[in-house]
Amino acid sequence: MSAIKKIAGLLWAVMGAGIIPLAIMQAMKEIATKPSEENWIFWSIVIVVLTPIISFSLITFGVFALKGEYDTIE
Amino acid sequence: MANDVTNVSQTEEVTSTRRVIAASSVGTLIEWYDFYIFGSLAKIISEQFFPKDNPTAALLATLATFAAGFVVRPFGALFFGRLGDIIGRKYTFLVTLVIMGGSTFAIGLVPGYKTIGFLAPAIVFILRLLQGLALGGEYGGAATYVAEHSPAGKRGFWTSFIQTTATLGLFVSLGVILIVRQTLGIEAFTDWGWRVPFILSVFLVAISVYIRMKMSESPLFAKLKKEGKTSANPLAESFQKKDNLKMVLLALLGATAGQGVVWYTGQFYALSFLQNACNVEFVQSNYIISVALIIGTPFFVLFGALSDKIGRKYIMMAGMLIAVLAYRPIYTMMYDEANLKTKTEITDQTKVEVKKELKGTDSLTTTVTTKAFADGTTYKETVKATVPLDPAKKAELEAAGKLKPETKKEATLPQSSFYKMIGLVLIQVIFVTMVYGPIAAFLVEIFPTRIRYTSMSLPYHIGNGVFGGLVPLISTRLVEATRPGPDLPPADPLAGLWYPILIAAICFVIGSLYISNKTNNLDVE
Repeated sequence: MSAIKKIAGLLWAVMGAGIIPLAIMQAMKEIATKPSEENWIFWSIVIVVLTPIISFSLITFGVFALKGEYDTIE
Repeated sequence: MANDVTNVSQTEEVTSTRRVIAASSVGTLIEWYDFYIFGSLAKIISEQFFPKDNPTAALLATLATFAAGFVVRPFGALFFGRLGDIIGRKYTFLVTLVIMGGSTFAIGLVPGYKTIGFLAPAIVFILRLLQGLALGGEYGGAATYVAEHSPAGKRGFWTSFIQTTATLGLFVSLGVILIVRQTLGIEAFTDWGWRVPFILSVFLVAISVYIRMKMSESPLFAKLKKEGKTSANPLAESFQKKDNLKMVLLALLGATAGQGVVWYTGQFYALSFLQNACNVEFVQSNYIISVALIIGTPFFVLFGALSDKIGRKYIMMAGMLIAVLAYRPIYTMMYDEANLKTKTEITDQTKVEVKKELKGTDSLTTTVTTKAFADGTTYKETVKATVPLDPAKKAELEAAGKLKPETKKEATLPQSSFYKMIGLVLIQVIFVTMVYGPIAAFLVEIFPTRIRYTSMSLPYHIGNGVFGGLVPLISTRLVEATRPGPDLPPADPLAGLWYPILIAAICFVIGSLYISNKTNNLDVE
């Protein structure tokens, strides 16, 4: 179980790091296609609020899991 | 004699239990009521305070909607959580109640944009932020207060009453709005009657403050304070110490994020889907949600109590997994039930009325089409086309693509479909009760008393405010992305469900893998 927790930890950390460029690229693509106010507000919320929260929490959680911090929780 | 003493002591204990639960739950319910009436009356508030022709006011309207929901709430959690861990639970959640009630009452008194100009949206925006801040501090305080009074084997049961308040708050807000609207009539309600639900809040808050003033401090916190063991810096202890930070992250990614999206989908997205994708008429769609909420509410207590017996994790994870698997089939059934294309129209009952009138320098043509269907469904489509009388202005608007008519579609379902819809929404409310019923007890048990208020409030409000609060925005966006052209219907009206399904699925995997099920009988210290 402990090994699965650690391997999954790597997955969470990679996922957290991968979300940042993906979100930025998608935002740039969509705003360039249609630079409406609606688009700007939507992508500002995703980039400024949602992405940092998801990335920070997944990366930190993943690193903790990888280091075995959650191994004692059964 | 000994039996009499035991009986008196047991009676006092039961009375004290009820008072603790009542004092906490009623106050939290009022806070939710205050928060929801702004959302439920958003359209009227927007017309009164945020006119569309003023771009700054329109921007403030957008910010008021989103900022209060997911930016300010976590800040409220940090600010009041810290206060609650330093000065105590009782006074902190008393302050949040007063701020929330005061802001709500004040919104009901602010003169409109037509009277005081830009000051009106600015004041309402600030008051809305205060509402978000107060809400961020309330839940953690109430949950902590009740949990710290409750015995180890009954914590899930006791705190589940706090969990019912968010749903009941929505129910009460919808009820008050519908009653005031029916009593005053739509015209008076739109003109001034919408202020009544806001002003009414001050009386509810006064009663709740009176009840809470009579309560004593949480016994665990009082003991800690007496021993001088309270935290001097709860924020640093909560988020800078690895042992606690790892539990904050686990609470967020393994429980509250999934719970937030399941909750918002079951209560708010369901209503929006009924009104916008199924075109169910306003009052009928609100009745569907209200009846489902009121039938579903006791399940919060049922699952809270059950979590004391079999563990919090199993119930929360089961709720998330079933939601992930069942959302698309449920919403497909809802969509099919209201889909007019599959119904037989009684063509000789179709009526079309056209009315033309002058409105200032514009000509307004209103076309109302009513249709009846064999299963008892009635459908009304109102198309309003406003065209300037000045040919130059008309040509200018036409060229800019701004001459599109406004269309309002309203379907009134027959009784059999009405009950089926209630059943389908009720199933979703039961998912909500599974993930939400045990969560207060779960959060309380994974953090120590000295930093509990701060530590549990932040993941709860990020999970609910950010992950849950973004369900309407992201889901609408996902549906819009499937629209083949600007005036064409979306190819997949259910595409909005992918966001809650994805978040709940990740949360289920993390929760199942890392959360312990052995928390239900822990002694909180």
